[in-house]
Amino acid sequence: MNKKIITNTILLSVLSFAEGYEINRVAPAKNAIYQKECASCHFGYQPGLLPKQTWGKIMNTLDNHFGTDASLDDKTKADITRYLVNNSSDSQNSNFRINNKNNSIKNLRITKMPYFLREHNEIPKKIIAQKEVGSLLNCTACNKSAEKGIYSEGYIKVPNFRSWDDD
Amino acid sequence: MKRYIIGLSVCVFGLNAAGFNPSMQTYISDLKVQAKKDNSGFIDFDVKRGEKIFLSKHIGKRGDEISCATCHTQNLTATGKNPTTNKSIKPLSPSANSTRLTDVAEVKKWLKRNFNDVYKREGTALEKGDVLYFIKSK
Repeated sequence: MNKKIITNTILLSVLSFAEGYEINRVAPAKNAIYQKECASCHFGYQPGLLPKQTWGKIMNTLDNHFGTDASLDDKTKADITRYLVNNSSDSQNSNFRINNKNNSIKNLRITKMPYFLREHNEIPKKIIAQKEVGSLLNCTACNKSAEKGIYSEGYIKVPNFRSWDDD
Repeated sequence: MKRYIIGLSVCVFGLNAAGFNPSMQTYISDLKVQAKKDNSGFIDFDVKRGEKIFLSKHIGKRGDEISCATCHTQNLTATGKNPTTNKSIKPLSPSANSTRLTDVAEVKKWLKRNFNDVYKREGTALEKGDVLYFIKSK
């Protein structure tokens, strides 16, 4: 029984590593059309943060984009989709692998991805709710170098939050 | 005679649309044609009706009560905020943000999206024209 637990723990660690838990840097999102069309409403999440299948599904459901109409004309949609897919986490250029094959169509939210949850699960709700942050979607509120694709701890400053032990 | 007709058209159609660039004026004219088709009694778009469209609350696409002012605030010269993502929205008023109501493709895109978000349907030509006149007046 103990052996099984240990095996599972090791297996989980290996899987965690495979999902890119240890990597905190992705290529910045420099595409001008993507920035204009997508980052006008939310942080311009780097394409390397999601697998291509997930981006494909997101781009095909823009008329109901997490409860909002974010529809685009066909050409703009095609251009942005190509950019996202070509630079997704499973593209050749990416050093951030996400093992999300079974879930890539069901979970479209970056904020529900295992690597994201692991990094954010200790943050008290009231710290997220405060006006300086407001939402987990607001990356730059704390990750000061998020625009550059850098999510290292050295670049994190959570407003009004001194210690992970505070409540 | 031709000059007179042009002058008259500018008076009739151009009065409230003053300040729109040529491509936007064409779009406004198209909306007027459609509004007239939808209702033969249509005369012109109206700032007051547009204000009501902008400020009135509805159960929106997300199922919550929402108005245009939820994101853009009631002061159109102020910076707004997307309540879901906390991303700031540049002022909607052309007097505070000169890029507003200048690009027809942008205007059409946002009217479609935001009517769907607030009204759960696309706006009619009358509603679109009214709300554009209202925004332009701010």
